[in-house]
Amino acid sequence: MASLTQLQLALHSRTLDRAALLLRASVSVKHPIQGSLAFSNERQYRTMPTHGIGKYKHLLPKEAPKKKKERQQMKQIKTATDAEYGTLNVKVSGYDMIIVEHYSQYIHNLCNRLGVKVAESYALPTKSTEVMVMPEQGTKMYVDAILKTHERIVQFSQLNVTLCPIFMEVMLKNQPEGVQLSVKPHTEADYQARFKARPELEGLMAQIT
Amino acid sequence: MAAPCSRMASRPLWQFITNVRRTGLKHTGVRQFSLSYACRAATQTSSKTESVASPWKLYGAVCLQRLPVISQERNPIEDQFAELMHQMELERSLLSEHEQRLLEDAERMTRKQADNYDSDEEEADYGGQETITAQDQDDTWEQNLKHFQPALRDRDVGGTPLGSVERCLGDSLVLLVQQTVAKENIWLLPQAPWEAGETLRQTAERVLSSLPEADFKATFLGNTPCGVYRYKFPKDVRTESCVGAKVFFFKALLSAGSASQKEPFLWVKKTDLQGYLKPSYLEKVDRFILNL
Repeated sequence: MASLTQLQLALHSRTLDRAALLLRASVSVKHPIQGSLAFSNERQYRTMPTHGIGKYKHLLPKEAPKKKKERQQMKQIKTATDAEYGTLNVKVSGYDMIIVEHYSQYIHNLCNRLGVKVAESYALPTKSTEVMVMPEQGTKMYVDAILKTHERIVQFSQLNVTLCPIFMEVMLKNQPEGVQLSVKPHTEADYQARFKARPELEGLMAQIT
Repeated sequence: MAAPCSRMASRPLWQFITNVRRTGLKHTGVRQFSLSYACRAATQTSSKTESVASPWKLYGAVCLQRLPVISQERNPIEDQFAELMHQMELERSLLSEHEQRLLEDAERMTRKQADNYDSDEEEADYGGQETITAQDQDDTWEQNLKHFQPALRDRDVGGTPLGSVERCLGDSLVLLVQQTVAKENIWLLPQAPWEAGETLRQTAERVLSSLPEADFKATFLGNTPCGVYRYKFPKDVRTESCVGAKVFFFKALLSAGSASQKEPFLWVKKTDLQGYLKPSYLEKVDRFILNL
């Protein structure tokens, strides 16, 4: 009997689990007095027929090992060819965040519909401008208001040359009030400007050199 | 017109920088544009070694548009909807810091007036009065608002002449010019014949600079033409070498400009074009002028 169980253990224990389950259930039905054993929730010893009951991880599909998040690399900046423009940045900026965001969403949707591939769509940090007012009598200026400038950037690549004038015209004609639009080619400096400065690292680098 | 001989015509490739602003109503009445670009000449051979001359005369024309300066008037339905949305947002919104301060101050005042006012307890909680209350700030802001006078939306109450750039600030306008074509004085988009050795876009730029007594600074939107109009000459003018003419249109947006009133210029909306242009011409031109 022991050798039989060992053989079964050596095999894939799927059927064994099933059988063990049935056995367990039948055991509990037939001998309710020994219910404590059935409900004890202990892992059975390796020689016991119910060893490995409850395993299921082997039944699930194999997952790829989880890779660690790699450091953000810059996407390739495409250059302009004869038929297409390279990576272009459309910057929408203004004081009213709702209008600026809606307009940038509109441009993004327009690109999607016209078939222009949108590479990235991100926001630059908000800049606050303090408006100081100097009263006529006194000399000291005081803060009148704080204006916040919001900026959103939509980056697309491979804009078709024939599509460009139409696209630009539609964008300009639908420009809302209080919003400034600017179209520029994308540069590495633009990409680097998004990152925060690291003063400790720079200090260490300066010390080394 | 002789076909262009084999020559290396460089077609400049644009990397343009456009900076567009929607400013308030300024006296120029025109949206400010600043354009700077870096030309990267990609040498492309546009050489055509044709022994047979093309029988079509080529013209380059420019469709100069002035973009609207202010937003359009709303429909009555749009008005009602905007009001409804505003009302709904107001009802759903929470109080801002300033409004909360107003309420607290008002409450504190009423508590002060009450008979069982315990100043020690109040000040212990609050920690001293502020010099400027929220209500005072509110009043000063109201005063400032009253001093501000927004400019009138509609300037051409008296009816600005059709040649002025500042009419119909809410719509986009197209420039029309009166030119003599085939011994007839007709209104059309400004055009000029193409000369050998230049790209059609340069022809269009030349047209703009050569308009008499007008000084328009325009930004061209691209190298590609947006429309074409071809017509055949009447039978008596037709010869072996010129059967007709093809006009290529380029789009440009007005950035700054002025014109004297005497010259036959016309700034018209798209809906008014019908009264000035010939029907077959209008059909082709209509296709690329957007009426947004």
